Amino acid sequence: MTYIHSRSLSVLALTAALAAPLAPALAQDTAPAPDAATGNDEGAPPEAQDATPAEPAPEAPTATDEDAPAASGDDSAPSTEADSVPPADGDSASPTEEDSAAPAEEAPTPADDSATPAEEGAAAAEESVAPTEDATTAPTDEGAATAEEQTAAPADDSAAPEAAEAPGNEAAPYAAVTPADVGSDWPFWGGDEAAQRYSPLDQITPENVAGLERAWVYHTGDLPSGAAEGKYSPENTPLKVGDDLLMCTAMNILVSVDARTGEENWRYDPEVPAEAIPYGATCRGVSVWTDPAKAEGDACRTRVIEGTIDARLIAVDAATGEPCAEFGEAGNVDLWEGIGDKVPGWYAVTAPPAIVRGVVITGAQVKDGQAEDAPSGVIRGYDARSGALVWAWDLAAPDEMRNGPPEGETYTRGTPNMWTTATGDEELGMVYLPLGNSSVDYWGSNRSEVENDYATSLVALDATTGEERWKFQTVRHDVWDYDLGSQASLLDYQGQKAILLASKQGDVYILNRETGEPLTPVGEVTDLPESPVEPDYVADSQPVSEWFDIRKPDLTEKDMWGFTPIDQLWCRIRFRQARYDGYLTPPGEDWYIQYPGYNGGNDWGSVAIDPERNLMIMNYNDVPNFNRLVPRETADAEGWKPINETGNGGGAGAEGAGDPQAGAPYAIQVNAGWQSELTGMPCTRPPYGGITAVDLETGEQVWDTPIGTARRNGPFGIPSMLPVKIGTPNNGGSVVTKGGLIFIGAATDNLFRAIDLKTGETLWSDVLDQGGQANPITYEVDGEQYVVIGPGGHHFMHTPVGDALVAYKLPSGS
Amino acid sequence: MTATYDTSRAGASARAEPLTHPGWGVRLLGWICVLFGLVIAIGGVWLIALGGSWYYGLAGLGLIGTGILLNHGRMAALWLYLVVWIGTLVWAWWEVGADWWAQVPRMVAPTVILVLLLLCIPNIRRVVRRPAY
Repeated sequence: MTYIHSRSLSVLALTAALAAPLAPALAQDTAPAPDAATGNDEGAPPEAQDATPAEPAPEAPTATDEDAPAASGDDSAPSTEADSVPPADGDSASPTEEDSAAPAEEAPTPADDSATPAEEGAAAAEESVAPTEDATTAPTDEGAATAEEQTAAPADDSAAPEAAEAPGNEAAPYAAVTPADVGSDWPFWGGDEAAQRYSPLDQITPENVAGLERAWVYHTGDLPSGAAEGKYSPENTPLKVGDDLLMCTAMNILVSVDARTGEENWRYDPEVPAEAIPYGATCRGVSVWTDPAKAEGDACRTRVIEGTIDARLIAVDAATGEPCAEFGEAGNVDLWEGIGDKVPGWYAVTAPPAIVRGVVITGAQVKDGQAEDAPSGVIRGYDARSGALVWAWDLAAPDEMRNGPPEGETYTRGTPNMWTTATGDEELGMVYLPLGNSSVDYWGSNRSEVENDYATSLVALDATTGEERWKFQTVRHDVWDYDLGSQASLLDYQGQKAILLASKQGDVYILNRETGEPLTPVGEVTDLPESPVEPDYVADSQPVSEWFDIRKPDLTEKDMWGFTPIDQLWCRIRFRQARYDGYLTPPGEDWYIQYPGYNGGNDWGSVAIDPERNLMIMNYNDVPNFNRLVPRETADAEGWKPINETGNGGGAGAEGAGDPQAGAPYAIQVNAGWQSELTGMPCTRPPYGGITAVDLETGEQVWDTPIGTARRNGPFGIPSMLPVKIGTPNNGGSVVTKGGLIFIGAATDNLFRAIDLKTGETLWSDVLDQGGQANPITYEVDGEQYVVIGPGGHHFMHTPVGDALVAYKLPSGS
Repeated sequence: MTATYDTSRAGASARAEPLTHPGWGVRLLGWICVLFGLVIAIGGVWLIALGGSWYYGLAGLGLIGTGILLNHGRMAALWLYLVVWIGTLVWAWWEVGADWWAQVPRMVAPTVILVLLLLCIPNIRRVVRRPAY
C-alpha cells in the first residue's frame, strides 16, 4: 500500500491541465454553436418600386378606370369598413380625395392619434393616426361593405381615374414627376427600379476603403419590450430621396432622417400592437410615390407608403410625416378586408409594396404551417393617390375576385402568398411576384390544382389590371417550403428585356420578362426520392437551372461536425438514422434531411447585379434542415394548435418548429439548420454561408468565398474573438458599387464589410453592435458618398437586436 | 513510505523515488480515457450497426485500453495511444484532407489527450512494478 502524497501544487497543475483541454469536450453540450440556425426565411425583401415612371404609362390608370372604380371601391372600403361597416356605403367607397377626406375625419380614431409623436404638423391631424384598431378590427366581411360600395362606388371610382387623368392630358396620368436616380439617391428598396442593388457611385474604392469611418449613428428608439421581447427581426432598409432617408422600424414607425447628419426630421407611429407580430417584427422597407398632379409644396405630393404587420397600407407625406388624408381612411387602408376573420399575426405585410403606374401592389406574409384554411395569398393593387382598390389577383379565382370578393365571402383561402418583395416595371406596366407556397408547406395532397400550378412560381401581372401575363414555376408540388424569397431583378440580357430570379434551392434563372420564356437553360432532374407518405403527390421531375446554381453536393456522413469526436459521432448516428436520399428528399414520419434547408440558397436579401462588369453577386446559406412529419394525434397531444385557436403567442421559435398544419394529417417539426440535440451546435461542417460572383455572360463563378467569421462563436457561448472566416448563416443582401466594392452585413458575426468585387477579399470591416441582417444602401450628399446599414439584429439568428442606422463615409477632404 | 511525484521537472522526476502506483493526475486521465472511450465505443458500435464509419468503435476501444494501462502506470498506454492518434490522423486526412474546420472535431480533442499523456510520462516512469511481497 502506498500512499500517494501529492503536492497540492502539482496536483492542481495537472488537474488544471486536464480540465482545460477536456473542457471543451465535456462542454460541448453547452457549447454554443455558431449560430447556425438561421432561421427564417420569411423575411421578405422587397423592393420598392416607385412609380417612377419614366415612361408614361398610358393605359395604366386609364385602363383601370373602368375596373378601378369598382375595385377601388372595394378596397378602400376595407379601411373604411370599420366605419362604413355600418353600411355607410357611399363614403367608404369613395376614394376621391374629398371623400376620403371626409372619412378621415370620421375615422379619426381617437386616442391613438395623439400617440403619434409626429411633430408639429402631424398634430393636426386627426387623421394622422389611423384608426388602428378600427381599421384593423374590421375583419371579414369586406364583402358586405364591398358589395355595397361597389354599387355605390362607381361614381366615386371615377374619382380615382379622374385623378389619374387629371394630371395632365399626357397619356400617363400617373407618370412620375421626377424619377429619382439611383446614385445620389436610393429611391427603391432594391436601389433602382430594376432592383439591381447597384450604385454608380465610385468615390469609395478598394484603394481608399480602409479609411472608411462612421459619419453618424441614428437610433430609431424602436426596441422590443413586453410581449414583443424576443420577436424582433427588423430588417429595415431606408430609401434615400432628396435630402432624406425614409424608413420604417420593426413596428412600422415611419421615420425621416437627414441623410447628411442623421438627425430625425419627423416620425409617424401607426401604433401597431405587439400582438400583430407574426414570425418576427419586420419591416424591410417603404416605397415612395410622387403624385404628378400635385405641385411642389402640396401636401402629400411625394408620399411614403408602407405595409404594416397589422395589415394596413399607410401613406404619409414624405416632407412632414403627416398621413395623407386622401389615401384610404386618414392615410390607412385596411388589408384585412376580404381576408376573413382577423387573427393578429396571421396576415402581415413585411415587405415594401411595388408601385407601378400609380398602383400600389402588395401581398402579405401568411404565417406558415398553421392551417390549410388560412388567409388568402391574394395580391392587391391600390390607387396610390386614393388608396382605393384597383384590382385583386386571387390565383384561384382571378376573374371573380378582381374587384374583391362577393359579399360575405373572402378571397380564396390558403392559397400561395407573396411575403417577399415584388419588382415593378414601369416600362412594360408589369409587376413580377415571387410567390411562396400554400399555407401548409409540408403536406400537399389537399392542395387544389390551381395552387399546385402557381405555388413557388414567379408570376407576372399587368400592374394596372391585375391580369396574369405569364408564370414560371421553380418547384412542382413543393413540400419543402422552398418559397421564392428573393426579389427578382430586371436586366438586359443578350439584348432582351430580362428578369433574374434566384431561388432558395440555389438555382438562378434568367427569363424574358415580357413572355416568361427562359433565356438560360432549364433542365429537369428525374429519378427523385420517393415519398413515404404521399407518393402520388410528389413530382417525378423538377426544374433546375443548368446555367448556374449554388447547390453543393449531397451530404455524406463525413460532412457531420461538432467540436469533439463525441458530438460529431452523435451527428453521424443521427445522419445514419435519418431518411436522406439527396436533394428533394420528401417529408415523412421519420426524421429526414432536407438540404438545402428553407433558408436557402438565396433568400430575401436577394442578389446584386453589376451591369457594367456584368456580374451577379449572391450571398447564400448552406445549411440543411432536420425535419419530420408529426402525426395529428401526437401534435394534438403536444398542444400544437393553429394561431386562430390559440392566439398569437409564439413567434420566437424556428419557423416550422412544431407547426400544426391543421387540416393536413400531419403537423411538422423542423430543426432549422440541423442543430445537434446534444450541443446546440450545427451537425454539419462549415461553411454555413458564402458569397459568390457569377459572370452573367457565362454563368461561371468568378469567385466564391465563405462569409462571416467565428468571432462571435465559441465554446460555452463565449465569443472566440477569432477573426477566422468560417462562413456563417446570413440574411440580408448586398450593394455593389461602380467603385468596385460590395457592401454587406448579413452574417452572424455582426461585421459590416466591404469586399473587393474582383476577388471576393474583404478589404474593410466594422464591428456593429447588433446583427447586420438588413440590406445596406449607398448614396451621395454634398459630393460625398455614404454607405448606410441598419443593424437590427434577428431574433432567430441569435444576433443582438438594435434600432440603429449607421452611416459611413470617407474622412472629409480625403 | 511516502510517495511523491513531481511532473514539473522531468529530469528530476526520473531520479525521484520509485512509485508503486501512478499519481492521481495520471489516474484521473486514465479514468477520463476510459469514460470517453466507453462513450465513443458504444456510440461507435451503434454507428457501425447503422452502416457508418468503423473509426469510432475502434478508437473507443483504443481509448479504453489506454485508460486502463494508465491506471496501471504502464508506459504501454502511451504506445497504444500513439497508435490511436496516428490512426486518427490518417483517417481524418483521408476523410476531409486540409479542410481545417472539418478537422476540428477529428483532431483537436485527440491531440489534447496526446499532450496530456506526454505530460504523464515522467510520473509513469517512476512507477516500479514490484512483485507482491
